[in-house]
Amino acid sequence: MAKKRLTVVQRLLEFSGIHPERLRMKWVSSAEAAEFVHEITDFAEEIKKLGPNPLKVKEAA
Amino acid sequence: MNEKIKEKVSELLKEDKIKGFLGLREENGHIMPHLFCDPNELEFLSIGDWKKVGGARYPLNQILIQLAMAYPEDRFAILVRGCDERGLRELFKWNQLKEEKIVLIGIGCPEELARACECEKPFPDSLIEGPQGEKGDSQRVARIEAMDLDQRLQYWKTEFDRCIKCFGCRNVCPMCFCKECSLEEDRFVKTGEIPPANPTFHLSRAIHMVGRCIDCGLCEEACPAEIPLRTLYKKITGIIAEEFGYKTGYNLEEKSPFNVIEVK
Repeated sequence: MAKKRLTVVQRLLEFSGIHPERLRMKWVSSAEAAEFVHEITDFAEEIKKLGPNPLKVKEAA
Repeated sequence: MNEKIKEKVSELLKEDKIKGFLGLREENGHIMPHLFCDPNELEFLSIGDWKKVGGARYPLNQILIQLAMAYPEDRFAILVRGCDERGLRELFKWNQLKEEKIVLIGIGCPEELARACECEKPFPDSLIEGPQGEKGDSQRVARIEAMDLDQRLQYWKTEFDRCIKCFGCRNVCPMCFCKECSLEEDRFVKTGEIPPANPTFHLSRAIHMVGRCIDCGLCEEACPAEIPLRTLYKKITGIIAEEFGYKTGYNLEEKSPFNVIEVK
């Protein structure tokens, strides 16, 4: 269910002009610390590549 | 005009098969919803062509829900276009109306209206009168998709910024039947702020239209700020058709992918 929702939200974001990769969903167990760290680091890097939130940037301008 | 509809409704009323027929009535130059309980009233029946084809439309399904709640034992007939019929199917599935208590009186939309609506199916299966028209070509969504992300964001920001949060889109929507609305939650949409936080406000509503929006376009007609809401909801309807093969309002047996929990 959550995965279905995520698909719809991502595609709606893309239609509205927000990069869909800004939203990500992963399943990580509480026993998988390394996996968790990897996912978060990876996501943080991805977001840095995408740059600041375009909504925030427009507000400041 | 509309002889077949009048004939059919009159028959249903005379045979006592229905308590009333929910349609439109023309009076003093105005068109308004009306519950016809007497066949003699049918001379005032209108199908809502006011100034132009389909110029006066009302969320009759929404009124029907109220009627059915007040008179749960009675059967009613209702005037439906293709979109209204799709809406009723979803409302049956969402348990907002009982199928066996409703008789559909269908009218087909003329080409002019079908094209203006970019309607997928401008006639109901319960067609009694009017054309069985071709689907209108859809351009609206494609026009947005031709833009890059920055242009899209700018486009929607400009459109959404005109929002005065009148809730017209939600109030007119025949598929918005929730008793509590998250758009009124202070946590999500701050009270007293205009325009409302965007795109949160409109995208939240769009997400809630998944599996519900049957593309009647009343939201856009109601919007005093002329925000192209229909384009947004057409996209939503398109997404679940593409991703999950679900066509909202077409099949009474099949539920929206968001109403089905798959156990694997």
